Amino acid sequence: MIRFDNVTKVYPTQSGPALDSLTMEVERGEFVFLVGPSGSGKSTFLRLVLKEERPTSGRIRVAGKDLHRLSNWKVPHLRRRIGTVFQDFRLLPNKTVFENVAFALQVIGKSRRQIQRDVPAVLDLVGLDGKQDRMPDQLSGGEQQRVAVARAFVNRPLILLADEPTGNLDPATSVGIMKLLDRINRTGTTVAMATHDQSIVDQMRKRVIQLEHGKLVRDQSRGVYGYTR
Amino acid sequence: MRFQYVLSEIATGLRRNLTMTVAVIITVSISIALFGTGLLIRAQSEATKGYWYDKVEISVFMCNEYSRGGNCGGGEVTDSERERIQATLEDHREVAEVFYESQEEAYERFTEPLDDPVADVINPDHLQEAFRVALVDPDEYDGVVSAVAGLPGVQNVHDQREVLGPLFRLLDWFQVGAIVIAVIQVVAATLLIANTIRLAAFSRRRETGIMRLVGASNFYIQLPFILEAAIAGLIGSILGCAAVFALQEVAVSRLLAPNFTFTEWVSQSDVWMMVPWLLLTGVIISAFASFLTLRRYLRV
Repeated sequence: MIRFDNVTKVYPTQSGPALDSLTMEVERGEFVFLVGPSGSGKSTFLRLVLKEERPTSGRIRVAGKDLHRLSNWKVPHLRRRIGTVFQDFRLLPNKTVFENVAFALQVIGKSRRQIQRDVPAVLDLVGLDGKQDRMPDQLSGGEQQRVAVARAFVNRPLILLADEPTGNLDPATSVGIMKLLDRINRTGTTVAMATHDQSIVDQMRKRVIQLEHGKLVRDQSRGVYGYTR
Repeated sequence: MRFQYVLSEIATGLRRNLTMTVAVIITVSISIALFGTGLLIRAQSEATKGYWYDKVEISVFMCNEYSRGGNCGGGEVTDSERERIQATLEDHREVAEVFYESQEEAYERFTEPLDDPVADVINPDHLQEAFRVALVDPDEYDGVVSAVAGLPGVQNVHDQREVLGPLFRLLDWFQVGAIVIAVIQVVAATLLIANTIRLAAFSRRRETGIMRLVGASNFYIQLPFILEAAIAGLIGSILGCAAVFALQEVAVSRLLAPNFTFTEWVSQSDVWMMVPWLLLTGVIISAFASFLTLRRYLRV
């Protein structure tokens, strides 16, 4: 589902490469943790998958598409098959829960009927039924992140990328979010999650890919966090 | 395409950047007004030329017994000389019509308009008989002039275009001046629009960021911004057109036309002819400026 072949990414303003000859593959339906210290290349990895950045060298395939050959005007179609969740939720503060999730469908031209059908279903899935008319600032952090997950998942993407989704949440709330991501993974969606949260990685026992200075230093199925900060 | 969404985005954008939007509207209206003025002067120039060209003629003055200079060897033009001049003119392919004016007719024309004491002391013999020549194409006067200027019995060939030349040149300069100022204004308008759209894009970067992320097409993301600029451009152009109408009404219809009747003046219908072009120019400039800006600030 995601395949990196010898991928190097060098940002012009930085000395060392953000990713250094990374080769790895994530299969369809897998759940993968990306771990490593800040600046190890986790976020760069996610940005490359979304084609927000282009690799300096190497080949990337996502959802059967060679990103190098994917023309710019087709990038939006790639992104419709990828859902993304961030540490800071990135909700629109002036829209309700329903509108925030509906926004993701509106802007890719889905019909009103489809929105009326899909948004309540996904809000139900993330456990926010009954809160669809709240504004984001009336929700707890965990609930806000659930809205963000709902927005990422409402279009039923093949891949869900999560960049430290529990970074702003307390441990109990984080567990709730992880259960949600696990449930989404069980629907067949490939999940790649960058995290610093040791206890979550240790509990989940999923595949762990560890990066350091842009290099792959460990790829372990059913792994643990494996290093101390 | 969700129409309602686009409309509400435009309304939000216009409201959020009200001061800049007003600045864009004013700049566009000034540049469109100047551009329209340039076109108006051009139309005036054309109208003036059209009016005068029908009346422009070449006068071929022939020698009388007092004539000196030219090809007057001495004394009056002879019958054979006159016939030769007339034949030359009538055979020339640029000549439409030739009228003969005798000394008596010249005298009548001379004494008719003015009650002048000079008229008492001259008699028809002092005046010259002439051919008045209407041309097929008034621009092609050179050939006709040179064809007859050298013939014996011709005292002088007079081309009325020489009188009107400075007027036409003045109109041309006005026209160039108005267009140059309009172009400068258009550049200023373009930069202002670019800046406004940049601000609008910045203030909505949260929305556009999410749109990019969930896979909205570039067109869909940019459309509200481009329409926002186009609407501001349209309002500005409408104001600019109104200014051109006002100029035509006040300066031409009320001031110039009643007092200077020696030419035709541009009418309101001439302005109406320009309106589509002015509106189109304003809208396209605005939309294009925002499109170029967004290419830089809302990349994939």
